[in-house]
Amino acid sequence: MSISAQALDPARPLSRQEWMGVLARTSREQLEASLTDALDGKALPAFDWLRAPDIGLAMVRGRIGGTGDAFNLGEVTVTRATLRLRLQDGNGPVGMAVHRGRDKERARLAALADALLQTPSLEMQLQERLIAPLAAAIAARRAIKEAQAARTKVEFFTMVRGD
Amino acid sequence: MGTANHSDAAPQRIDLSTLTPGFSDGVHDSQGVFRALLEALSRPGTIVSIDAVLRDLRTQGTVPLAVFASLLALADYSTPVFLQHDEHSLSDAVRFHTGAPLTTDSKQAVFAYLHDAASMPSLDAFSLGDAETPENAATLFIRVESLENGPPMLWSGPGMPCPRAVCVAGLPDAFWRERAGLASKFPCGIDCYFVAGGALIGMPRTTQVEVD
Repeated sequence: MSISAQALDPARPLSRQEWMGVLARTSREQLEASLTDALDGKALPAFDWLRAPDIGLAMVRGRIGGTGDAFNLGEVTVTRATLRLRLQDGNGPVGMAVHRGRDKERARLAALADALLQTPSLEMQLQERLIAPLAAAIAARRAIKEAQAARTKVEFFTMVRGD
Repeated sequence: MGTANHSDAAPQRIDLSTLTPGFSDGVHDSQGVFRALLEALSRPGTIVSIDAVLRDLRTQGTVPLAVFASLLALADYSTPVFLQHDEHSLSDAVRFHTGAPLTTDSKQAVFAYLHDAASMPSLDAFSLGDAETPENAATLFIRVESLENGPPMLWSGPGMPCPRAVCVAGLPDAFWRERAGLASKFPCGIDCYFVAGGALIGMPRTTQVEVD
């Protein structure tokens, strides 16, 4: 939760934890389009699966008010994938993705993006052209939601009784 | 997960940059391997080839392919695995792909890989199961030099219509003596696989071996 609550500063390159958060909140269509665009239409690199995308369940736990005892809220479907880029001189960086939902293709794209972001020659390019726009889109969606919610806010006043 | 009960020290980080990939098709590959292992144990003494069902599984170092494939197919978070030698490519891959905890206590092991039969722990150091739960006994994967070139030994018992000469090479005499000593504890006992490369021979606890 703490990652999503942080405001992302567009000028600062994001850490791996942050960019994985951005990738996990992006739809497959958008990920596909943005990744192709950020790589200038170049083909996606070759890779080996360390763990081919698989679907499982994760228990989500919660605390009422953030302070009470933890309880099991319910299970969500998650898809996870781990891959390793194949370079000419051996093994490349390892990319991972863990997403809510059951879209294996999306997990593949996000894991690929994660691996490419760890490739020094591509990191800046992808930070600027992949992660920054996606982070901005997420922030915009969030701002709209917050504005919608703010309109329904009700202020309660308690009159001080005069006795 | 209860992993803390099984390992003595905090587990090391898995080195993903050199990790060996697992099955390319998890469901069907592990079904194929399971079928082969079942075949080996139900017809003791026959050489079963595991690599026939795997298209592109590879191992690193000196670990036989059949051991890697069997552990990938059988192990999970509830089956502590004992590895006799410290080979990171195998221990990392087993932990990553199967989630199985590694143990250094042979009594807790459900599966054990014994790289060097000459220096393996004695058989009663492994779990033999209880009279009520003989299925809790350990299953050993023992690496041998050859499945065909050893001194012939006569095996008999369930799964063999008549006694069969089996030529596993490289097992110490102590192993056969210890194993014969476990016969009286049936239904408790230990099931073994002898592994060389991509092939293995199964020897369930019911098999009687003529020891000179």
